[in-house]
Amino acid sequence: MSIVAELAARPGVIAAGEYSYRGDRFQCKGELSEEHARMASIMCRATNLSAHMQTHFLALGMDPCPFNPASGWSVRGPHFTVCVMANVFCFLDNTATSLNEVMRLMHKHLGREPEDLI
Amino acid sequence: MIRRLLAIDGVSAVCHFRDDGALVEGHGVLEEQHMAGLAMFAHDYRRILQSHADQLSMFSQVRGWTPPKGWIVHGKDATVCSLGNLVCLVDNREASLSEVMRELADTQY
Amino acid sequence: MQSLDELMKLPGAIASFEFSDRGELTEHRLAEGNALTPDILDLVSHVCIANISIATMQARGWEKVTGQAGFYPIEGFTLVGFDWSTVSSGNRGVILRNEEADYQAAYDALGV
Repeated sequence: MSIVAELAARPGVIAAGEYSYRGDRFQCKGELSEEHARMASIMCRATNLSAHMQTHFLALGMDPCPFNPASGWSVRGPHFTVCVMANVFCFLDNTATSLNEVMRLMHKHLGREPEDLI
Repeated sequence: MIRRLLAIDGVSAVCHFRDDGALVEGHGVLEEQHMAGLAMFAHDYRRILQSHADQLSMFSQVRGWTPPKGWIVHGKDATVCSLGNLVCLVDNREASLSEVMRELADTQY
Repeated sequence: MQSLDELMKLPGAIASFEFSDRGELTEHRLAEGNALTPDILDLVSHVCIANISIATMQARGWEKVTGQAGFYPIEGFTLVGFDWSTVSSGNRGVILRNEEADYQAAYDALGV
């Protein structure tokens, strides 16, 4: 089972998807329309690019820098959380899922992706 | 060719960078290592800005943001200007940003 | 919402910090024996503010276009670095070692 399918099958996961690092393709499983999944891919890719640049900057002041390279990020709203690791994203319902379990699963599978793909 | 940008008042360094962020050539007051850093920053920043412009188009449903041609980050004393694969470092006290951007547009290739 | 000293009791915590609305570091606690400095924490604070701001723009746009509410206002942002993570909410954050990080507990402690 792919990591996207595994995430999508978890309780409280609204949708999970994957985008190409170039930004030209995406796939998604769950309760997001094709158009909304495309939007989610664009947004997640944008923040991922920022996160990588930011950890490069942190590394200018620390050698070695335990933040660099970035593995992923998550952002939390009142009802939903978005988690991204490498090129995989996941939308969570805050009340129905364990953030730690999702983060741990994503980190285990995706936390050491090579940075030159970014 | 890009060296001529140093003739503009206030421009202290100029770089041409590749699409992967590597420095092609750089001129001005920065050391080689910092010149490469400026090139990589400009490359990273351009990609981030492109992705933000995509989002702005997507959310506003208004055309005209993409593809972004360049950017200006204006600090208190210094400014970084970039257009295409060129970036330059500018001293705010001496430079006209309009002139710098015009010359960058004339020079980019 | 817990104090900076209490945030340091989170599993794997190596720093807790507070920053202004512009991202400047205003107060911090550091565990002994790591390479973090106030200057680095100031940069991390700017990372937190920048990403919360970007996420706010995205949440606004997303909710407007999709009609799906629940992301705005942004309550927290976490950067998962190679070995360390920083979890932030409002004007405070905590840095955790990844192998011990309890993200939910960190958000709870930050008052989310």
